[in-house]
Amino acid sequence: MEGPTAVDVPVDISSNDANARMVQVLCCLCGISITPNSANTCANCLASSSDITKGISTESTLHQCKSCQRWHKEAGKWMACDLESRELMALCLANISGLKSSKKNDQRIRLIDANWIWTEPHSMRLKVRLTIQKEVHTGTILQQAFTVVFVVRNQQCMECQAEYRQGSWKSLVQVRQRVAHKRTFLYLEQLILKHGAHRGCLSIETFGDGMDFYFPDKGKAGRFISFLENCVPTKIKTSKKLISTDDKSNISNFKYTNFVEICPLCKDDLLFLPAKTARNLGNIARLVLVKSISNLINLIDPLTGQTASMNVESFWADPIRPLITAARSRMTRYVVLGKEPVFLRRNVSKRATSRKQRTRLANLSLARESDLGVNDKQFDELSYVGYLMKAGDVCVGYDLTETQFVDDDAEEFRAAGKLPNAIILRKLYGGVATGESDAAKKRIWRLQRLDVQVAESMKSARAQKQEAEQEDMDEEDFMREVEADKEMRNQMNVYKSDALKQKKEEEDAAMDNDEDSEDDQEVQLEELLENLVVDSGPDPEDNPENQEGFASYEEGEKAAKDGIRYVGREEARNMKEKESAVPTKAFSDEYDLSDL
Amino acid sequence: MATRCSFENSHEVGVFAALTNSYCLAGIGGNENFYSVLEAELREHIPVLHATIGGNRFVGRTTVGNVRGLLVPNTATDQELTHLRNSLPDKVVVQRVEERFSALGNVISTNDHVALIHPDTDRETEEIISDVLGVEVFRQTVGGQALVGSYAKFTNQGGMVHPRTTVQDMEELSSLLQVPLVAGTVNRGSDVLGGGMVVNDWSAFCGMDTTGTEISVIESIFRLQRQQNGGAEPMDIVTDMRSSLIDQLS
Repeated sequence: MEGPTAVDVPVDISSNDANARMVQVLCCLCGISITPNSANTCANCLASSSDITKGISTESTLHQCKSCQRWHKEAGKWMACDLESRELMALCLANISGLKSSKKNDQRIRLIDANWIWTEPHSMRLKVRLTIQKEVHTGTILQQAFTVVFVVRNQQCMECQAEYRQGSWKSLVQVRQRVAHKRTFLYLEQLILKHGAHRGCLSIETFGDGMDFYFPDKGKAGRFISFLENCVPTKIKTSKKLISTDDKSNISNFKYTNFVEICPLCKDDLLFLPAKTARNLGNIARLVLVKSISNLINLIDPLTGQTASMNVESFWADPIRPLITAARSRMTRYVVLGKEPVFLRRNVSKRATSRKQRTRLANLSLARESDLGVNDKQFDELSYVGYLMKAGDVCVGYDLTETQFVDDDAEEFRAAGKLPNAIILRKLYGGVATGESDAAKKRIWRLQRLDVQVAESMKSARAQKQEAEQEDMDEEDFMREVEADKEMRNQMNVYKSDALKQKKEEEDAAMDNDEDSEDDQEVQLEELLENLVVDSGPDPEDNPENQEGFASYEEGEKAAKDGIRYVGREEARNMKEKESAVPTKAFSDEYDLSDL
Repeated sequence: MATRCSFENSHEVGVFAALTNSYCLAGIGGNENFYSVLEAELREHIPVLHATIGGNRFVGRTTVGNVRGLLVPNTATDQELTHLRNSLPDKVVVQRVEERFSALGNVISTNDHVALIHPDTDRETEEIISDVLGVEVFRQTVGGQALVGSYAKFTNQGGMVHPRTTVQDMEELSSLLQVPLVAGTVNRGSDVLGGGMVVNDWSAFCGMDTTGTEISVIESIFRLQRQQNGGAEPMDIVTDMRSSLIDQLS
């Protein structure tokens, strides 16, 4: 027998204390010396002999609706998300089988990273590069990267299906206003856009005096009507038509038509109230302006600033026709020559430092713009928007000296000299005030528009042209109204326009706001929203950028914005479908999309 | 020379066979394949016999023995004992032990000179071991494992221990056993050495899963190549692996 011999392989001194005392064994596969582990196999052999991506599908299918570009999420739910976005990544990850179910068992797979890989835009493929980690034996963690390909299939979503099916609507909301202009509808459009009230609407049609909204069911129409009721004074009449009935099963199929009439009064209409009504409204003067329209009709006495609100019921009980409707043809442009603020003595406490209260009222010296250089006619009038004015400003108002009233009462009043000569409505801003021809184009803000169909009319070309002109004028008038009314702007989304960007470049944004500090109605830069994306061109199929998403991004731009790595075209070419697993020391942080 | 074989579908050949320098026991299987493999290798030198202990075929785990004797647990019937006595060479003493641990193969590991036993074994058993097998007995653990029969395997030539053994333990064991030791595995990384193989001074049988690397470790530490090459010069694998296997010769 030989002498005592202890044989062992060299000990790795550099490894930590616990391991230093341990004998090295040979990897049972390749024979290199390793510290013993549960498999007694070196990590590389383990990695080469085991595929941790086993059971995870590398191909999956996503469904996208071609017309609305939304992605099918689950169980008939559709989600709008950009390409390369986090939302889409979450959708993709949820679609990979084997990634989630493996969480059940003990050796769960950890998803470490997920990247987008460039795919040819028309290939209908999305590629996601996943990196996962899994513990194959106690203490041995393998990491492997692989690519999952998603085939994008077209599938029309329920909403789009309904949209393309003829006569699929169940409920129709006809909104009408019996006035000559469309400003109320322009305003309504903005409210609808801001609140997204048109969601679920199949189609929108516009007519001469109103709009039709088609809905797939009664509930959505009902929601829309209640939205309308909250925005404007309305009168609603609902009718239904029996389409089919099945007596045996007690099922009947109806189509509902809701007729919504909007009160014909509009902002800036001049009213001459009946004496009784005026008394009921807090003894307000009989000559009032409509200040704004919400679900109430808000009136203001232009000469004192006294306000009153009339509710819908009392209006419909005794409808009032406006004395002058706020049409451009009825308005006169005035130039402000001078202003004198009006101080009112109010019933304030004795401790107040000043007993004089500054009001919005001001006494304005005005001259008609058309009179300038012709005669020296001047008016001195009180105005509730007087505080906005300064000498040289241009404003619009009703010239009562030259108007003929239909209302006999009003006519009597004027004859008795009880009416003022002019009633100022609002100040004009920007290019409109100076009379520039391209004032509308130079506006620093713009509005979003609804996608509506225009009802086909059997009118002559001339009549149609006239109608278009009328519409343009209404739109411009509406813009001017919005421009001078901050409250109105607060209720809608006002976006920065291209003109602003140009202007900024030219002027380096040198805005001189300080001299006009008292004017709180002017459009301020801060209120404007960024990024209004308008569908350009009537045919979205011709425009590849529109097809890809709502906003167009460069390749990888959206991914970078969302913090997801993007593998570009060149790099993607050299990428293997599945990398071999590599051992890692410890688990990395898990890829987290939970903040969605 | 180490041979890969399997008992029916099991690669744990050490469970179903016991091999010493003077005899070999094989469990009774459904077919004779396993027995044939053993017999083909060993017939020229030692008897290979079928055996059961207490009616069970895992004879490798229930018995322990060396060239001088065989210990069987108290579960062995008189008939089995008689069969063993009749079949084994006359010089081999067969002894039944009244030991709490009836799987003697798991708690005792021995060669012809030294035995390691489970630290909790009875004192009487210890005496029987030293008397019957003619060995020096040490109560030991291997790599923190009390089941020394399962986690250590050694012959008069050399020995293998559990891979988690520390360097210090291994030096200590090596000086007790007076043979070179190595930490190793059988059956593709399994650390249950006693279960995975049977070995004597000139032959070894290990499970079908055993990799080439493991075979070469087994052959080199148990010095099995010499028999092949007539002892003239060691195989290449010895010279090749020597540097990686043998760190120090004390």
